[in-house]
Amino acid sequence: MTEPREIFVRLDRCMGCHSCELACAVAHSRSKSLYGAISEQPRPGHRVYVEAVRPDTPVPVLCRHCEDAPCMHACIAGAIGRNEEGAVITQADKCIGCWTCVMVCPYGVVGRQLEEHKAYRCDRCQGRETPACVQACPTKALVYRSVRDFSRDTRKTASKTMIVPQGG
Amino acid sequence: MAGQTRYVIIGASAAGMAAAEAIRAIDKSGPVTVYSDESDPPYFRPLIPFLISGKKSAADMAMVGHGPYRGTGIDVRLKSKVAGIDARMRTVSLKSGEEVAFDRLLLATGSSPYVPPEIDGTGQEGVFTLRTLSDARSAAGRAEKSRRAIMLGGGILNLKASFALLERGLKVTLIVQSPQVLSQLMEPDDASLIRDALNKAGLEIETGVSARRILSGSNGVNGVLLDDGREIACEMVCIGKGVRPNAAFVDSENIRVDRGIVVDQFTASGAESIYAAGDVAVTVDPVTGGRIVTALWTNAVEMGRCAGFNMAGKPTAYGGTFGILNATQVAGVSFVSMGIVHTSGLDYETHVHESRGAYRKLVFSPDGERLLGVLLLGDISRAGLYRFVIREKMPVAKIKSQIINHALHYGHFIRT
Repeated sequence: MTEPREIFVRLDRCMGCHSCELACAVAHSRSKSLYGAISEQPRPGHRVYVEAVRPDTPVPVLCRHCEDAPCMHACIAGAIGRNEEGAVITQADKCIGCWTCVMVCPYGVVGRQLEEHKAYRCDRCQGRETPACVQACPTKALVYRSVRDFSRDTRKTASKTMIVPQGG
Repeated sequence: MAGQTRYVIIGASAAGMAAAEAIRAIDKSGPVTVYSDESDPPYFRPLIPFLISGKKSAADMAMVGHGPYRGTGIDVRLKSKVAGIDARMRTVSLKSGEEVAFDRLLLATGSSPYVPPEIDGTGQEGVFTLRTLSDARSAAGRAEKSRRAIMLGGGILNLKASFALLERGLKVTLIVQSPQVLSQLMEPDDASLIRDALNKAGLEIETGVSARRILSGSNGVNGVLLDDGREIACEMVCIGKGVRPNAAFVDSENIRVDRGIVVDQFTASGAESIYAAGDVAVTVDPVTGGRIVTALWTNAVEMGRCAGFNMAGKPTAYGGTFGILNATQVAGVSFVSMGIVHTSGLDYETHVHESRGAYRKLVFSPDGERLLGVLLLGDISRAGLYRFVIREKMPVAKIKSQIINHALHYGHFIRT
C-alpha cells in the first residue's frame, strides 16, 4: 500500500500569485475549464486561501484534514467523514448548512456556498493524481507528498545547508 | 471471554455513540454494549425538525455508518430503559429485569425537555416537546390536521421547528417570555437582524408574554391563554423551554449529582469505573470558570469521545466547553454565538459593528487583553479562529485590530 499523501505548504516559496486559488475553483467547477467556470452560477469557490499578513508575506491556508478533525466530530448531520486516503470529505447531499464546521475549524478553511446552503472544503481533488492547486503552483510552494517523504526532504535540505558552510 | 474489558454505555445519542467509537478506536475486541430507551436506532437528534418539514426521513438521520460513526462490533440495544446502577457490584439493572455486568460504565442518559409546571394543560393531546424522533413523528401527524401552531419559547429548537411547520403551510406563532428571541444566545439589541428576517419569513412573534393555560376540547388542544389575558386559537402547541439532565436514576453515594452528574477532568464520576458525558454531565466553562450543563450535540460528542478514551485506558482530559457555542442559520441569517456575549451593564470591552446584512460583537476582558466572546451574524466566515483564541486564552494585543475588524485569518497565528 502506498502511503497517503498530503498537501504541504512551503511558506518560504509562496509569492502570493493566487494561481492555486484559481486552479482550485476551476477544478471544482462543473465545466472544469477557466472560461466555463467564470460564467457558472453559483460561482465555483476555491478551497485554498492565500492570505496575507502584510503585502509581502503571503500565507496559503487550506484544510489540514486533521487526524482528530474537529469538524467531523462536531457535524450535527453526519455529513463529514474520512475517505480511504485519509482525506476529510464533506458530503454535500447530507450537509444542512448549519455551519457548525465553520464554527469549530481552527484553520478557518471551511467555505460556505450560500446559494446552495452547503459547506465546502478541500477534498484533495478526489480522482486526480495531483491536486489542482499543487499542479498550478509555479514555485512549488505547495507539494503533494507523504509525511515520510516530505520530512525526509526537509531533513536533506537542512543537512545540506549545514554542511556547505563547513566546506563539506 | 476472560481478560476482555466489558464496556456498558447508557444512552445511544451523541455522547454515548461517540464514546463507543472512541473505545473501539483503542480497544478492538472488548465488548461494547450501548443501551437506548428509544425505539429508533441512533440518529442525529438535531435533524428531527426535518422530519416535520418532510425534507428528511428517519433513515436519512441514522448515525451508524455515517460521519465518524463507522466502528464495528458496537452492540446497540434499543427499547432498553435503565432502572438503576449498582456501583459496588458493577451492574446495571434494566427495566426489563435484566442485570448487566460491566467493567467500565458510561452514563450518557442525556436530558429531557423542561415543561414549566406553571402552565396548565400541558398534558393535552396536541402538546409536544421535540426531543426524539418519536416526538417529531407525533408532531408531524398532528401538523397534518392543524392550521395553526403555537410555539412556547424562543430558542433555536423552537425556531427550527417553527420553520418546519411554516414550510408545511401552517400559521405559526412564537410566544417568547423574554423581550427578544434567542435571548440565551444574544442580547435583544443584537438580535434585531434576525428578528427582522423572522418577521419577513412569516413567523408571528409575541415577546414579553407567556402562556398561562393550554386550552382544549374534544380533539385536544384548541388554543392558548396568555398571561395578558389574550386567547389565541390553535390546534397544536410545541414547548421549547430548554432541557434538564436525566440524572434522577443515579442513586449512589459516590456519584455526586448537582443538576447533572459531576465528573472530574477525566470525565470520571466519584464511583470507580463509572464515567459520565454529554447533557447529563456537569462540566466547566473555561471562559467563566463556572460549572455548567450544556445541551449541545457538539459538546456531547467531544465529551463522549474523551470519556471513551479514558474508559479504554488512554487518559484524556476534557477541557470543558463554552456555555454558549452555537452556529446555525434561521430565516436566511447565519450566526455564530460563543463564549460571553451578554454584556449589558457589565464591565467588558465590547466592539459592535453593524452593516447591511451583517452584525458582529466582539467581547474582550475588561483589561482588553483577552477575547471572551464573539457574536457574528451574516458573515460568520472563519469563526473557528475566534473560538480558538477564546479557548486558548491567547493574548490578543498583536491581533486585536484583526479581531475587531473580523479580518483574522490563520496566517496571523504563524507569521507576524
